[in-house]
Amino acid sequence: MADTSALLAYRDDGPLATVAGRILGSTLRLPAVLLTVTGAVPLVVVLAANDGINELALGLATGWFVLLAGIASAQPHTGSLGWLVPPMLRAVEYGYLLRITVLSEPNAVPVCFALLAVLAYHHYDIVYRLRHQQISPPMWVGALGGGWDGRLLAAYVFAVAGGLREAMATAAVVLAAVYLVESTVGWLRFSQAQRPALYEDEQDEDE
Amino acid sequence: MTATAILFATTPSEDGSPSADLRIGDGSLLTHLLEQLDSLDVRRVYVVVRPGYEGIVDAASIPTGVQWTVVGSASAADDLQVVADVAAKGRGRLVLAMADVLTHREALAGLLADPRVVTGILATTARLRSSWTFRTRSVRGRIVSAGSLYHQVRRANAYFLGVLKVDERDRPVLASVARELAALNAAHPTQWPARVEDVQRRWRTRAVRDHLVLAAADAEAAAAIDLEGIDVDAFPLGDDVEARLALRRRVSENDVAAMVLVGLVRSGVHLTNSYLRRLFWARPLSQEAAANAAAAMGTYDEDKVLLASAVKANDGFFTTYFVSPYSKYIARWAAHRGWTPNGVTTLSMAIGILAAAAFAIGTRPALVAGAVLLQVAFAFDCVDGQLARYTRQFSKLGAWLDSVLDRGKEYAVYAGLAFGATRGFHDDVWTLAAAALVLQTCRHMMEFSYSASQHDQIAAIPMLPLDQPEDRILPADLTTPEDASSVEQVTDDQQSWGQRALHTAGRSAITVSRLLERRRWMRWGKKIVVLPIGERFALISLTAAIWDPRVTFTVLLLWGSLAASYVLVGRILRSVA
Repeated sequence: MADTSALLAYRDDGPLATVAGRILGSTLRLPAVLLTVTGAVPLVVVLAANDGINELALGLATGWFVLLAGIASAQPHTGSLGWLVPPMLRAVEYGYLLRITVLSEPNAVPVCFALLAVLAYHHYDIVYRLRHQQISPPMWVGALGGGWDGRLLAAYVFAVAGGLREAMATAAVVLAAVYLVESTVGWLRFSQAQRPALYEDEQDEDE
Repeated sequence: MTATAILFATTPSEDGSPSADLRIGDGSLLTHLLEQLDSLDVRRVYVVVRPGYEGIVDAASIPTGVQWTVVGSASAADDLQVVADVAAKGRGRLVLAMADVLTHREALAGLLADPRVVTGILATTARLRSSWTFRTRSVRGRIVSAGSLYHQVRRANAYFLGVLKVDERDRPVLASVARELAALNAAHPTQWPARVEDVQRRWRTRAVRDHLVLAAADAEAAAAIDLEGIDVDAFPLGDDVEARLALRRRVSENDVAAMVLVGLVRSGVHLTNSYLRRLFWARPLSQEAAANAAAAMGTYDEDKVLLASAVKANDGFFTTYFVSPYSKYIARWAAHRGWTPNGVTTLSMAIGILAAAAFAIGTRPALVAGAVLLQVAFAFDCVDGQLARYTRQFSKLGAWLDSVLDRGKEYAVYAGLAFGATRGFHDDVWTLAAAALVLQTCRHMMEFSYSASQHDQIAAIPMLPLDQPEDRILPADLTTPEDASSVEQVTDDQQSWGQRALHTAGRSAITVSRLLERRRWMRWGKKIVVLPIGERFALISLTAAIWDPRVTFTVLLLWGSLAASYVLVGRILRSVA
């Protein structure tokens, strides 16, 4: 049933997070919220520093977050605060991308804006498809995007090694094309198939 | 897609004859309903009547396109068996209705022709004072509990209006539920008599109160009435009141639609509401009541009501007071010209792009033009939904297009403003623009996740047996600790001090939140604080037209962060309560 996996689908995990969850998820049985918050704290501290990027500290903090929030992917999100996890992942991911762009290549912020808009499209698409079609976007689309984990590490590598602007521009263009085309095709196919809807959440229309 | 209907002409009116046979105009309530159903593609009708009343179905008055069968049935148990048989053997959608329901065709169309309601009921949240219908409770649009003579519903928030639509794929469940209910009705389980007695005592208590209120000298005396110390059972009520109480019991015993609804809800069928909106609805039980109802229904301006109902009920303040009052007329105008909701959505997006382009120019006149265009785009954004509701052209594709293009419009405007700031003001605000995008997207994701977890919780509500009048699990039935934790009332001593403090904080927050709902301006205040889309777009237009993009983004970020914190804290407190 789509209902139970909605929060897990909203996470948009990549291969790294999934592997971390699969290997360590059963050993480290802690609430997903706790893992995610613990993972995020050092990252937020490092990113809050105003004096440019400390490569080592940022690398460690990024790895730490990917590890812990990845392990959280294997935990149930059914606890009373489990719903906090997906928006926390988004806040960390988007905030990270924006912050390291500002720190390392300030003139690339417009490109970062474009990439963020593309990623936002994908994340809205996951929600709307689950809500109306009861399916998630295909696996390959998720894998191509790398998941939040893949994007964080890639951004780190490019920020340190250089070429962040070009990498973000490429990612924005490629992902925009893939997400837009794939989701439009999916929606048109769905609307032609006329599958009956399951629910209409009136209270959530207040956007 | 054609449908089959089962109409129950089994409710007794005041003189004992079926209420469905009461006259309105030149036909009966039953023929009136049959004509409406015929116009809504119901092609096969079973009319369930009590023995001796087969004649109420007059062949001449039935629409020619409808294939019909009269089914004699001696009791509610037999009625339910008929439902089981019809559900098991046929195909297509099934409509179950009490045959004496008098309502506008549009109310029925809202349920039968709306593809968004797969299996659902006609319902109203408006208070029905004199009606004898049973109530339901919905959470997030889904019905989680329903009442009948034998089934209690706690914290009800809507009334079931006697019409039920069951999708083809839910027919097997309907068949088995109806069979089970038939058996239960034939041999009442041990818990039912006490429940019926309880219900009757409540009806009686209310009748006694009404009697005393009528006899009271003035309003003050009426308000001071205290039933404490009055023996309700022995209170002399008069023959007509006693007769009505007895009739109410008979009407409820025959309300098999309500029983079927309980059965479906308790079988985990996903049921949604189609609301009456401001249309007319009644179930008359006497010739006089039928005549009055028909007259009352005739005074409605159906188009006006439909247009007013096309406005979404729980919109934000700005949308409700500054956009919807005129946008609904644009919606009607568009409907008469045959525009589709998706066309209007696309038009709105195009105007939004123009607004973004104007913002990108960055001069003062361009910013003002952008602000105006953005408001026009937003007005059309409201029109598409109103047009869809007014013309009942709903589609999943439309809902998606609307949501996606709303976001697209907003973020395009952010980008436009950032370009404009660079060009017109030599001010780099891209970081602020990106931060605003991040904040807004994360706020939406928080909404979505919270909503998803609420749905998970509804899905986890355990199914209750149909012989049980209570609509929750009784503590005595709990065997495992996991069961216990899923029930609201866990005993306090099992929790740590920290958990107790959290629960208390959560419950206090809910109480405060309810208190804030009491006054109209406070309700609106709560809505404005969270900065819904109407307020957001108004804020963008205003700040961009008067000041510059930096001001726009600064205000958006400050207010948005405040709103996000407010919502976040509220939700967390609710979650731990």
